[in-house]
Amino acid sequence: MHFNPALLFDYWPLLLQGAWLTVQVSAFALVIGYAAGVAVAMFALMPGWLPRLAAGLYIETLRNIPFIILIFVVYYGLPFSGIRLPATVAGTLALALFVSAYYAEIVRAAILALPRGQFESARAIGMSPVQAMRHVVAPQILRALVPPSTNMTLTMMKESAVLSSITVPELTYQSLVVQGNTFAPFEVFAAVASIYWLIAIVIAEFSRRLERRVGAAQIESINRNPIAERYLSLVARRA
Amino acid sequence: MGFKLAYLLSILPNLVSAAAVNIRLALAIMLLALALGTALTVVRSLKIVAVNAVIAVVISFVRGTPLLIQIFIAYYVLPAVGLDLSPEVAGVSAIAFNSMVFVSESMRGGLATIDPGQIEASTALGLPPRAIWLKVVLPQLFRRIVPVLINEATIVVKGTALLSVITVVEVLRRAQQIASTSYRPFETMIGAALVFLVINLVISLSGKVAEARFARARI
Repeated sequence: MHFNPALLFDYWPLLLQGAWLTVQVSAFALVIGYAAGVAVAMFALMPGWLPRLAAGLYIETLRNIPFIILIFVVYYGLPFSGIRLPATVAGTLALALFVSAYYAEIVRAAILALPRGQFESARAIGMSPVQAMRHVVAPQILRALVPPSTNMTLTMMKESAVLSSITVPELTYQSLVVQGNTFAPFEVFAAVASIYWLIAIVIAEFSRRLERRVGAAQIESINRNPIAERYLSLVARRA
Repeated sequence: MGFKLAYLLSILPNLVSAAAVNIRLALAIMLLALALGTALTVVRSLKIVAVNAVIAVVISFVRGTPLLIQIFIAYYVLPAVGLDLSPEVAGVSAIAFNSMVFVSESMRGGLATIDPGQIEASTALGLPPRAIWLKVVLPQLFRRIVPVLINEATIVVKGTALLSVITVVEVLRRAQQIASTSYRPFETMIGAALVFLVINLVISLSGKVAEARFARARI
């Protein structure tokens, strides 16, 4: 058994193409999934049992079935209801659907961790529920959201490897193609694993910066808040 | 071509019988992951710099690459270095290795919550390190990570579905075989999803019961 990376020389473009598609698919799933996740979290927090039950069913179902099966359900289910989509689009939607359940849980937990009085006071001074969410709740939960969300995004990016099973030409699919052409599993999977690893490290680093920025921005926004400033200056004057 | 509930019901027994494979494999994986994860935690706690550096790289690798790729590595690469494993064994080792890392990481988190005074007291009493681990630290650690282990068990069960890609005949593979003869993939896949849903809900619910009992035992 010799390790000969030169074998892969002709195949690097193919692998990089696959990696680029993996990044694209994950990015789209992140955006769509987060939007859906926030919507589901709002449902879960609504008063009344019906929206809460619906959101609970959505979250529990998606969290308890393997993603590889979800992908097949979406892939075969869409044509069933008359919608024909290319595998890449269907795969991205399935990935977004999968990750939305986890994002919903993250958002819900972050909002529940905030003292209830925050929302209630905002309502009491005449804000609508949407205004209260946007101006009072959202800025405060932002910092709590970043670490679990980036963690989940990392998991989602890794799960996108499963898209290879419905012939989406992303990194894992290309690795199987290259493996079929070269019969050099060691080299191929070493290369592919390294690419995934690299993407993961980049996401982790990005999240660390985002965390620092959001944390800093939040402290700044508290300082810059006119009401807080007035209060702080009053305190200062009294002392 | 409408959704045929009768067809879905007719294939369920077949899928449920295949679920025995998933449950058996998941059980083996969890036992391995727990044993290896514990061993890894103990080794890491010895704080040997070189060993821990290697372990840190391995952990970063396992957490940074997809489980599917790790399964392919076990299935395609290990034979090339002379370890010819059956699909089942290759798959179980890959998932167990992956799970071991996550178990060990959560044990490390649990370790931080154990009062160092207990270990100082045990040392003062003259307990050998082995006894400190087995009688003082680990029993508490296991109780603390029960929720994590339950969660990990559902992840492992979901992971066994990936073994279909390396030809292990489990629920998903059986579903694909059924779908290829009946041309009804949608109902078949919904059936497979239901099987996993039931298994994982049972695990989560029994986990809640176990947690409640452990919580009571702690008081």
